[in-house]
Amino acid sequence: MKNSLRQSMAWLHTWSGLLLGWLLLAMFVTGTSAYFREEISLWMEPELHASHATPETPELAWQALNRLAPDARAWDIRLPDARAPVVELGWQPDTPEAQNEGRRRGERAIMDAATGEILTPRATRGGDFLYRFHFELYGVPRLWARWLVCVATMFMLVAIISGVITHKKIFKDFFTFRPGKGQRSWLDAHNATAVLALPFHFMITYSGLLLFMVMLMPWGIDAAYNGDRRAFFDDAFPRATETTAQSQEAAPMTDIAPLLAQTRRAFDQPVTRIEVNRPNRAGATVSISTDREPEITGRRRGSAPTLVFQANSGALLETRPGTSEALPAAVRFYNLFANLHLARFADPAVRWLFFLSGLGGCAMVATGLLLWVAKRTQQLKQRQPGASLRLVNALNMASMTGLIGAMAFYFAANRLLPVELAQRESWEIRVFFISWLLSLAHALWRPNRRGWIEQLAGITVLWLSVPLLDMATTGSHLFSATAWQHGALAGFDLACLLLGALWGYALWRVARHGGGKKGTARQPRRSPGTATGAAS
Amino acid sequence: MMVWLALALAYAGLTALALGMKRHHQSLLGAKPSDARLRAFRVTGWALIALMLLCCLRLWPLGLALSLAFGLATLAGLPLIFLLPYRPRLAARLALALPLAAGVGVWVV
Amino acid sequence: MSRSASSRLFYYRLSVASRTVAAVLGGYALSAASTAALAVTLPMPRAEAVVSATVFSFLVYSGAVIWAFATHSALRAWLGIAAPTVVCVAVALLGAPS
Repeated sequence: MKNSLRQSMAWLHTWSGLLLGWLLLAMFVTGTSAYFREEISLWMEPELHASHATPETPELAWQALNRLAPDARAWDIRLPDARAPVVELGWQPDTPEAQNEGRRRGERAIMDAATGEILTPRATRGGDFLYRFHFELYGVPRLWARWLVCVATMFMLVAIISGVITHKKIFKDFFTFRPGKGQRSWLDAHNATAVLALPFHFMITYSGLLLFMVMLMPWGIDAAYNGDRRAFFDDAFPRATETTAQSQEAAPMTDIAPLLAQTRRAFDQPVTRIEVNRPNRAGATVSISTDREPEITGRRRGSAPTLVFQANSGALLETRPGTSEALPAAVRFYNLFANLHLARFADPAVRWLFFLSGLGGCAMVATGLLLWVAKRTQQLKQRQPGASLRLVNALNMASMTGLIGAMAFYFAANRLLPVELAQRESWEIRVFFISWLLSLAHALWRPNRRGWIEQLAGITVLWLSVPLLDMATTGSHLFSATAWQHGALAGFDLACLLLGALWGYALWRVARHGGGKKGTARQPRRSPGTATGAAS
Repeated sequence: MMVWLALALAYAGLTALALGMKRHHQSLLGAKPSDARLRAFRVTGWALIALMLLCCLRLWPLGLALSLAFGLATLAGLPLIFLLPYRPRLAARLALALPLAAGVGVWVV
Repeated sequence: MSRSASSRLFYYRLSVASRTVAAVLGGYALSAASTAALAVTLPMPRAEAVVSATVFSFLVYSGAVIWAFATHSALRAWLGIAAPTVVCVAVALLGAPS
């Protein structure tokens, strides 16, 4: 249909990009925030902020479970770490009903790591809402949403490959950015954010598909295992089988402190998790795990260095060094991509690196969408834009400033909605979607430069006021002790201020430079880099 | 500290690679380059990137190091791209100053 | 004149629609068939063969989409996807464990 490979690829890139760009942008924005999912959740539960780990924390947790569920079937204690300052207590009630509900069901409680008090944080979905949204959206049947997201991801992969083919001088233009040239500048910005972060874009897209490969591509399993997926999982991703003692005879457990010290010494790492089987009975066992060395091709779960003790006598039963067993190459390949996508191994610095790369991804999709409009605006000369161009521009606005504004509303709702409100967590999410819809309505009403300026002004004010709201409602602020005790809180406020400043800069560029041309859309998104693309 | 050195080396390496291209060479240094000079800059650029890789390998295990080296190069490249049209001189000076500062930092700390 | 132009536009659109179907559905059929075929033929332990084949399938799909839009005619797009699909299905059926 087209003359050359390059032209047909350009066509494919443009149209598949436009069709799925808005969805991809929403996935990129919420997915990028998910690198700090636990930090966002912590920020959204101010009731937990006073908690901090002390040397006595494991014993407090031990006492708390003895108090709460002395005759549970199993205990699970997750101690505070760099990302979460509280203790998560889990236990499985020893009733037939609880067992029938499957392994995952159980009771949970959050404990203050310093006082041992059980905390009840406000009802919120926290960072998990944004994280879940990025691969299963909201309010759509889960399976449908996942398929839709995967289709968009697949076309992102196609867009990456076709984009590389389309790009005429990919290495020659590697460092090229020509500001102040309208469409040309948007193209340069799109290329720069795409090509420079190409390894990240490819990784995040391809691994996103791999994470859902059993749903997307079950045909290999069905062919080789005659459809027996359980058998495949047992082969490819084996789990350690648990040995469970069945005794009901009550028997006291030994002091936990020496066992903790022994584990700490054995692996030279702080203890992160304590699991107990049949607590307070004869034959109880306790497994104490520490952090493991980051291992990028290793398994996603388990295999942390662990000592298993007989809990009544304190005798050492087993040492699991946590070195990863020799995995087959294909599984290691899968793990590599899965671990990279989820940033499982990441220390804070690396997490920021991924976050910034994610912003680069947002910028790439956003500049691509803006380029589509800029190109057609330029072709208009002096004529009025048609309905379709106005529609695309409005959808661009809603998908960029609208979503960013909705996130700020979500955070603000967390602080402003009454703590005792019924269905509180749903209300936070409703605020998110209502504000997003309102921004779409506004964008459809004023789909031009005025609209962009108003929405940019709105998100600037919103993001800058989130830290203020935090200070007003919880007393925690950038210079307070709580904020720095948990770096996450200071980081959250700081990120809000920086992003707010970035939106403000974008606003300034659009307001100052955008007037000359047909100003439908020329405002940058999300990366300080592309902000300079605003000149016209 | 080593992370910063790796980042600075990535920036310097990419700047040297840009200087190995005619168009950017002229805008950065203001002179018409000879082919030999361009080649020298390209070799320097790749050498600096190789040094950055070495830093990464000292910081992380192999698989992680290779993956994060890409990330660091991206992080270093974006400011470079947007400095080139606005502040070309600054871009070139930073390529000298940053690795020196980071090197001193690694040595001192 | 204008009639021939409009009929050309019609054929162009038909061709785009046909290629899109070939890319989206045909591409999926091809990658599914290739995954099944590789999973039963790759000379490695069964689980590993399945993971390798599945991991590879997304690249097959991308390749198929690009083929569908890059080749000269819609007919070639369909043939280039259908023929290997048939081969892969045959291999998968022959090699399947009984």
